[in-house]
Amino acid sequence: MTQTTGNQRTGARSTGVRTEGIGTTGPAVCFTAAVKTFGRAGRTVRAVDGIDLTIERGETVALLGRNGAGKSTTIGLLLGLDTPDSGTVRLLGRTPDRAVRAGLVGAMLQEGRPIPRVTVRELITFVASTYPRPLPVDEALALAGMTAFADRRIDKLSGGQTQRVRFAVALAGAPELIVLDEPTAALDVEARRAFWDSMRSFARRGNTVLFSTHHLEEADENADRIVVVGRGRILADGTGDTIRRAAGGSLVSIDLADRPADGLELLPGVVGVDVRGGRALLRTDDPDATVVELARIGAVRGIRVDGGTLEDAFLALTSPEAAGTDTKESVR
Amino acid sequence: MTAYILLEIRRTLRDTTFLVFGTGMPVLMYLLFTNLGGGGDHDEWKAYSMVGMAAYGALASAMAIGTGIASDKSLGWLQQLRITPLAPGRAVTGRAISGSVTVLPTILAVLLAGALGNGVRMAAWQWIALVLLLWAGALPFTLLGIGNGYRLTPQATGVVNVACLMGLAIVGGLWFPITEFPQWLRSIGEFTPAYGFAELGRSVVAEHAPAAGAPAVLAGWLLLFGGYAVFSYRRSARTA
Repeated sequence: MTQTTGNQRTGARSTGVRTEGIGTTGPAVCFTAAVKTFGRAGRTVRAVDGIDLTIERGETVALLGRNGAGKSTTIGLLLGLDTPDSGTVRLLGRTPDRAVRAGLVGAMLQEGRPIPRVTVRELITFVASTYPRPLPVDEALALAGMTAFADRRIDKLSGGQTQRVRFAVALAGAPELIVLDEPTAALDVEARRAFWDSMRSFARRGNTVLFSTHHLEEADENADRIVVVGRGRILADGTGDTIRRAAGGSLVSIDLADRPADGLELLPGVVGVDVRGGRALLRTDDPDATVVELARIGAVRGIRVDGGTLEDAFLALTSPEAAGTDTKESVR
Repeated sequence: MTAYILLEIRRTLRDTTFLVFGTGMPVLMYLLFTNLGGGGDHDEWKAYSMVGMAAYGALASAMAIGTGIASDKSLGWLQQLRITPLAPGRAVTGRAISGSVTVLPTILAVLLAGALGNGVRMAAWQWIALVLLLWAGALPFTLLGIGNGYRLTPQATGVVNVACLMGLAIVGGLWFPITEFPQWLRSIGEFTPAYGFAELGRSVVAEHAPAAGAPAVLAGWLLLFGGYAVFSYRRSARTA
């Protein structure tokens, strides 16, 4: 993958309408050992701690992680709002700054709140005008489901409508890559569903979409691929199924009944043990073998087997224990 | 950039309170100073104080734009703007030009008050030249004001911009004639932006060309504050 060289124009020319005249090369997104540290003199936090990530064009990828996992910083680096302390970030074969300037990127930021005294149509018209080949304004409004509210002032809209305006802002320029930072935070169920419908119809046009979320179902339902981040690193990367397997597929739990939990981690299939309120929770990638062995040693009181949900996998991957003692904070 | 200018002008024109008070205050001050103080009935004083107050009003409304920018930043609008293809230099230039729409009515209102209320009489070319010079001359201050707005919180921007305005007005001789200053301060004062700005206005009233240095000094400050504003704009999008 030759993501860093910028002189492969001949290849791009034949791929048709979207890249014609733009001359983009390389994957949509490419992070190489990117590190970003915040704070100064003494107390620093490594918000992004060595991320390697390649996203091909046309993929829809979810960046999944808890609050503070480093999602927003990763997106900040991606958009060129921040520069990495070390490592590189490339979008479509160029630096984030150049990709943004060339109109290849559209984004919906987490912090964005509506600016006062502007109508929806005025805002979208302006944003579209800054891009070289924007969507027609009416089309952008329709994709975001905002046609009915086009002439309303954006500071007079509801939370869900505001979120859609920000989505319309992100797609107004018809960018190759669209980046959505926690796009459905603070939306109710119905607004959330409507939003993802809009997002999928945008992705179907062949665009690359990267969104961050801490909702597992959203990632599972709306992305081709899930990248789990925690403590500034990539913890898992793949489809929902891959990630379920990676974290140990199922959960077997028993009442300990005063029996020590020592040695349970050695049972067949078990990849992790958690003790909570007198119950041992065994994460296992072979629940049958685990249950048979538990029966053999007579530890079956209150036994339960739960099919591995993605949520279990997520919790397993991002729990603090999974990181050992590494807390990513150094005090000098 | 035109689209950006239009967008920001629309937003400004819809902020009636900002417009009414921004324009009204200097007019009120001018009428009070010239009619209550008993400072004199001379036409000369009325013309000079008119120019002085129009200049001060122009500076005040130029720098007041910064506060709006700081609140735009707190809404995340500057970050959103930063990830459109609009280049930082154009974004700042566009904002400065759109900010000028609030400067113009301030100048016009004070001059109108001078002409109608206080009976100031000047040749037609003087009125036109005065409006244009004060309007264009306010640009460096607009850039300083928005540069501060890009860096600071809305509250801090308000305070810092008022402090800058006062400081520049005093050192530049807008309040007390620079000729009364000690020599060292006077030499500094002559190179400050407010001095060059006021000199433009005074030269029109006195019907002579402005001192050769004044436009050059003002152009220098325009570049300096412009650079400061672009630098601040680029920084403003950082996430931490």
